[in-house]
Amino acid sequence: MRQWKCDLHIHSVLSPCGSLEMSPTAVIKRACEEKLDVIAITDHNTMANSSVFHRVAEKAGIFCFWGVEIQTMEEIHVIGLFDDEEKAMSFDRELYEALPPIPNDPDYFGDQVVVDDEENIVRCEEKALLNSVMWDLDQTLQSIDDHGGFGFPAHVNATTYSLISQLGFIPPNPLIKALGITAKCNDDEFLAAFPMAARYPLIRNSDAHYLKDIGSGFTVIDMEEPSIAELKRIYAANK
Amino acid sequence: MKLDLVKFTEIIQGELITPSDEMENIAITGGYVSDLLSDVMGNAKDGQLWITIMRHLNVIAVASLAGIPAIVFARNLKPEAAIIDKAQQEGIALIVSPLTTFEISGLLYRELKLEPTS
Repeated sequence: MRQWKCDLHIHSVLSPCGSLEMSPTAVIKRACEEKLDVIAITDHNTMANSSVFHRVAEKAGIFCFWGVEIQTMEEIHVIGLFDDEEKAMSFDRELYEALPPIPNDPDYFGDQVVVDDEENIVRCEEKALLNSVMWDLDQTLQSIDDHGGFGFPAHVNATTYSLISQLGFIPPNPLIKALGITAKCNDDEFLAAFPMAARYPLIRNSDAHYLKDIGSGFTVIDMEEPSIAELKRIYAANK
Repeated sequence: MKLDLVKFTEIIQGELITPSDEMENIAITGGYVSDLLSDVMGNAKDGQLWITIMRHLNVIAVASLAGIPAIVFARNLKPEAAIIDKAQQEGIALIVSPLTTFEISGLLYRELKLEPTS
């Protein structure tokens, strides 16, 4: 067992709101500077850049989960993590089908850039990623679990797009094992305002859209190895 | 001005999905429109008819907390059976209407003979 410094919510150039500086090499370099052991690339509603980041991170000695920040029908943001490319891509295909076919307007929302290992632009994603998929919260958590992933509601203390902002309080759902919180979340104030959150372990992440923010929020997790099985074991035991 | 909920359900071409004999005893004194449950918890008032498209189970708990006696789901968005059951346990009337939240709100305003407040 060892301690792993994790930042499990980082955007890449593929997120329309993510800066174009969020390329694989630059992100991994910053992750090394912040001494992160484990990261996850979590673009909005797509994992199209996850494999590239995983490979570039691996060369630098960092484990990168395949990740995604899903926006559910209730406009709740949920992080989905995977440690297996095949499972991740199978989930990603279903997710893409659940995303409405509305084209992105880059001038308004920003560019959605898919890159390769050498940072060449492979293509621009045409569908608007800043949108809700046609799955509700329960369906989303269930589908992540069914595909061998680990899901948790993102930045629950945020006043927009969070479990608490959209649903008022944390609904009973056995698939909610942990709650994501923002980099700047004051735990004491948050738990005083929402005592029901004390039943869950909190996972602090940066939600970085810019290089400077990588590692601004992190969680040290005790586990044998960075894997979905370990995350599930750790967060089931904490409950 | 109190609202006759049975009549209003007809006006909005709605269907009551929580059958009850108590409909006539429900006193609606105003309305609230929101799909954010944190917003409803903080701002809706006792006796208001809540018009929404949010269909998570939490709507019933939030309505109960806020003292909302009846909820209208707009655009024919029908909640699942678990939500209907919970509403019946809590004594909250659920109505599904094919109209939009805007249209339902306008009709509610007209029926309550309200004037916009500044």
